[in-house]
Amino acid sequence: MNHQDQELLEDLRALASQGPGEAPAHIEEYLKAQFRRKNRRRKFLVWTPAFSAAAAAGIALLLWVRSGAPRSAPAAAAMHAVAPVEEEADANFYPLPEAEALPALENAMVVRVQLPVSSLQLMGFPVAEERADASVQADLLLGQDGLARGVRLVQ
Amino acid sequence: MSDSPSHSDGDLLRLLSAGNEKAFLEFYRRHQGAVYRFAFQMSGKSEIAEEVTQDVFVVVMNSAKRYDSERGSVAAFLYGIARNFVLRTLERERPYLTVLDDPAGDYMGRMVADQDVFGELARHERIEILRKAVLALPPAYREVVVLCDLHERDYADAADALGCAVGTVRSRLHRARALLAEKLRAGERCAV
Repeated sequence: MNHQDQELLEDLRALASQGPGEAPAHIEEYLKAQFRRKNRRRKFLVWTPAFSAAAAAGIALLLWVRSGAPRSAPAAAAMHAVAPVEEEADANFYPLPEAEALPALENAMVVRVQLPVSSLQLMGFPVAEERADASVQADLLLGQDGLARGVRLVQ
Repeated sequence: MSDSPSHSDGDLLRLLSAGNEKAFLEFYRRHQGAVYRFAFQMSGKSEIAEEVTQDVFVVVMNSAKRYDSERGSVAAFLYGIARNFVLRTLERERPYLTVLDDPAGDYMGRMVADQDVFGELARHERIEILRKAVLALPPAYREVVVLCDLHERDYADAADALGCAVGTVRSRLHRARALLAEKLRAGERCAV
């Protein structure tokens, strides 16, 4: 390497040491907000099928019970988990975000389920971050189509 | 995730793709400086550098799973994404860009020492000419100078980032340095 090349490399090193070293702080704030938004969407997409599955299971159980199947002890035990609730349909249920787009409620029923607290955040309940991993008992209000319309906290 | 800073980049990418915000922030803080400097040195514009840095980490949060450790280092992965965004932005803004519109005078001011003022001024001037010369290089040469000389990446890492052969990096770098030396000589002749 000749003297000029050496000098050029030194100048390039000097150039490298100049200029900004860090991205401005507002970029981190923006990205943090984006990350949270993306996570909320992802969790919502994860839990929506879970709600639907719980609802479908509830409907199936109810139909089976109503069809006059002989009530064994476990089925009887399940009865208080699933109950027709015409009179209860408007009793303090918090409407789910997607329920507005569903057909009007005709026959409602309630299924008691364990819900992760993080899914309550997605529905807009104020929940402390440190409790996000816990679960709570809640009643799901299901419509005639088996889709959840609302949720009510038991605990 | 604990607060331990010992997570590897691979671990952080896995955790952040599972929704772990702390992992994302640790990964961002570890790499943002290099991405930002690369975009700034490639474009000469802080607005472009900000936009590119933002875009690179949005890609990371959405597609961390795309990273394949067998195809290169995490740094090469990030430089590769940043390079694509920079080139796209420069292409889009080409009619409005000039290489002389961002003189970075704030940084130059620090270089003038009390002693040997004339020597420092001459060096200051040389580096300013060099900065403009780097920005005036064709992008294919500029990116190898920025990666290998300004960011001190090895040829293999630069080749991974640029998606080309190591030999290509070596030959482009050789040519780029020759162009820079020529511009510096021309600049000195003008100063005399």
